[in-house]
Amino acid sequence: MTAEGDSRSDREMWRSLALASDAAPASVPDMDFAAWLEGRLSEAEAARVEASIAIDPAFRRAALELADVLGNELPAIPDRMIVRAQALVDFAPGRDNAAVGFWRRILSMSANLGLQRAVTATVALLIAGGGFVVGGGLGESFGQRQSYSVTESGFVSVSSDASNEVSEFFAPDGI
Amino acid sequence: MADGPRKNAGVAELNQIDLQALAAGEKRTWDAFVIAAAPLINAVVRRTLASYRLSEEDVLDASQDVFVRLCARDFRLLKTYDPARAGLSTWLAVVARSAAIDHVRRRRQPSQSLDDVPETVLAVEDRHVEKLKIPPGLLTDRQVLILKYLYDDERDVSEIAQLLKIDAQTVRSTHHKALLRLRSHFKEAP
Repeated sequence: MTAEGDSRSDREMWRSLALASDAAPASVPDMDFAAWLEGRLSEAEAARVEASIAIDPAFRRAALELADVLGNELPAIPDRMIVRAQALVDFAPGRDNAAVGFWRRILSMSANLGLQRAVTATVALLIAGGGFVVGGGLGESFGQRQSYSVTESGFVSVSSDASNEVSEFFAPDGI
Repeated sequence: MADGPRKNAGVAELNQIDLQALAAGEKRTWDAFVIAAAPLINAVVRRTLASYRLSEEDVLDASQDVFVRLCARDFRLLKTYDPARAGLSTWLAVVARSAAIDHVRRRRQPSQSLDDVPETVLAVEDRHVEKLKIPPGLLTDRQVLILKYLYDDERDVSEIAQLLKIDAQTVRSTHHKALLRLRSHFKEAP
């Protein structure tokens, strides 16, 4: 730089001047700004970005701060910052795990809501029917209970469980 | 910047991230991305919010906002990144700064120490004094930028050199040539 006296007079001269254009700074897309920070723009592109930066004091400050951060050691971070950020994809809408994805694909094959309901109802019925069959069904369960009660005590006893309530229901008809 | 030697392992790892898998929402890639990007995002947010004197929780929230912005709407912002134009770390730093400023605007007004504010910002400008206009084209955009940094913002030559990726001597000579042109123009002007 020049000597102190010259520097002061240079500064005073600069402050007595103004750029002819007082137009608001043109917005610079983030991608262009990043490319400029890396020195990847052509001379003409860089000049356009630099014109915008020169006009706006906040933009000038941003450029200096970003260059400084990118060129220096980064400070340590708290672990919970990582944990919170990683959890975003688990819970963000549109992100799915494998199980949810399978059912979503099945449902998305149905072109309209009616078909989706039909598929859901069919699956529910299959699950309920499967459980009923695996459990042996009402008749078999009732027969076993009836046979056991008559053999042991000679009459049908009534207890508080659900299968006995079913027995009560069928007993008057002699089933 | 992204191509030069890096001082931070996390930033270097950013360049290893599979961007397609990341934008597709693959959980494992997102987790790796967060680990690599968090130190940089934290540093940019902290630096951006330094003059606002916010709490540690505010810094954490603002950093989280950056990640939210990146993955929102099916990673729409992340999908705008073009690796052919700039390094991921530099683009992320720019995005993080914008997000941090938006965050703080939603929360409170800045409070900056008077010692941190350049004198030119505090000066009351006499609007009645008509300044001489620098005609368009007299100085290059880079010359104007350097003069603004030196005289309006009172920045050091070394800071400007680091930003523009040129040596300090080039900053000085650009500044000198700009002043010569100004003096010459206004001396000759009627």
